[in-house]
Amino acid sequence: MVGEIYTEIILDLYKNPVNKGNITKPEIDVSGGNPSCGDQVEFTMRIKDDVIEDVKFTGSGCAISVASSSIITEMVKGRNVQQAKKISREDFFDELGNIIQTRIKCALLGFMVLKQGIEAYEKNESKPTIIKGIVI
Amino acid sequence: MNIKKIREDFPILNQKFNNNELVYFDNAATTQKPQQVIDAVSDYYQKYNANVHRGLNFLSQKATDKYEEAHEKTAKFINAEGIKEIVFTKNASESLNLAAYSLGEKISSGDEILISVMEHHSNIVPWQMLAKRKKAKLNFVNITSDGRLDLDDFEKKLNKKTKIVALTKASNILGTINPLEKISKTVKDNGSYFVVDAAQSVPHTKTNVKKIDADLFAFSAHKMLGPTGIGVLYGKEEILKEMNPFLTGGDMISKVSLKEATWNKLPWKFEAGTPNIAGAIGFGEAIDYINKIGIENIEEHEKALLEFGLKKLKEIDKINLYGPEKEPRTGIISFNLKNVHPHDVAQILDENAIAIRSGNHCAQPLMEKLKVDGVARISFYLYNTKEEIEKFVNAIDQTKKVFGV
Repeated sequence: MVGEIYTEIILDLYKNPVNKGNITKPEIDVSGGNPSCGDQVEFTMRIKDDVIEDVKFTGSGCAISVASSSIITEMVKGRNVQQAKKISREDFFDELGNIIQTRIKCALLGFMVLKQGIEAYEKNESKPTIIKGIVI
Repeated sequence: MNIKKIREDFPILNQKFNNNELVYFDNAATTQKPQQVIDAVSDYYQKYNANVHRGLNFLSQKATDKYEEAHEKTAKFINAEGIKEIVFTKNASESLNLAAYSLGEKISSGDEILISVMEHHSNIVPWQMLAKRKKAKLNFVNITSDGRLDLDDFEKKLNKKTKIVALTKASNILGTINPLEKISKTVKDNGSYFVVDAAQSVPHTKTNVKKIDADLFAFSAHKMLGPTGIGVLYGKEEILKEMNPFLTGGDMISKVSLKEATWNKLPWKFEAGTPNIAGAIGFGEAIDYINKIGIENIEEHEKALLEFGLKKLKEIDKINLYGPEKEPRTGIISFNLKNVHPHDVAQILDENAIAIRSGNHCAQPLMEKLKVDGVARISFYLYNTKEEIEKFVNAIDQTKKVFGV
């Protein structure tokens, strides 16, 4: 059926994205994009005692990329840094649902940018970390 | 013009995807190839594959003849003086890079280069690099609210320091055709070089480089039924003579000693190394094909499609259309559905086997100007039909339903 990749969860989160916005003075501020399609995303995260207390995102992109970014914020919120790091693609697609091959990159944009942010924060010995311009 | 017969020449159009006939509306990105072009490429490889300008053998002679003949056909097609004014490159981007690099040698610190905000990245980035290299200033002509070149702004920004003016003949997003014939005299009177990006105009409308009076003029074969990997830089003979080569090496020299080299005659001075011979031969065949149909007929057909398409799209609720309301414009329509990202529009259309383009179309400064992240774009060519536009409009309705617009 035409349009069946636009599941209820994707359309809902595209129209009313959860965790949209910015956190002031975040521990992690990470942004990146996919130059071939122009989609952009930025995550800001507040981390206290190793726990991701809050995470928000802004950006522009297609329904799949916006919904995916929104889902990954839900997945990491409340977890500690190690747990968040361990979230796999499989875990992510379990939440999001299956995506056709041609749109995998849209779905993975937020997932990959956020993961790189967490990894950089860890390498930076848990000091406030800003990374801009990640190319996916 | 018998569209049904024309369509039979394009094997790719005779295919189904998801049980739908292919509707190809992405001609501004690249066009499909007729069997004649495919055969010409394949003939070269099957019957006379050899390097050009090198061997004395009969294969090389035939390849050289056909390769040079493609230059001649190109020269005639745009009303150039002859093959000495036709340099083959790999695409319009390379042509513009050549222009910026070699003509750029004439730029000094403090000089100015004038382009516009509606340029494709290929007519922005080479000039940005040049401006940085030479400590020159890059200025941008604005566009009017209806998507035309702002001619008042152009007059304002053209000054005695302006050494190069580089403008597009037709916008790849707005479809605007710029009145370059009218402004070239102003450019020349100002003592500036005039470079034209004609990638979106040469395939669709009769071209006369003498009338535009461009010094350098770039376009590509694959947007006019030819193969990919072959582009053109037309240059006035006296300008090309003044310019140093961009790429150097084989075939572009006259004499090489251990200390220095002198250049081959035009246009070979600018064609270093083994060129895209098959591509050039295929391009020659594409020009023959267009000539057989008649570029004026193609233009008229596209105009009718544009008019029909615009009328149909204007009837759609919650759609934004970009580009001038009236002629002159090419067969390009860019649009956005309210609250639906252009990629998602393209997705639903793709599921209907309708191929369009979505995104920023290599024109981020224009996107900023239009205050959008991207647009969806349809673009026509000689094989498209009104029925295809109707299918497209139906698929737009479906898109609106999926997204609840």
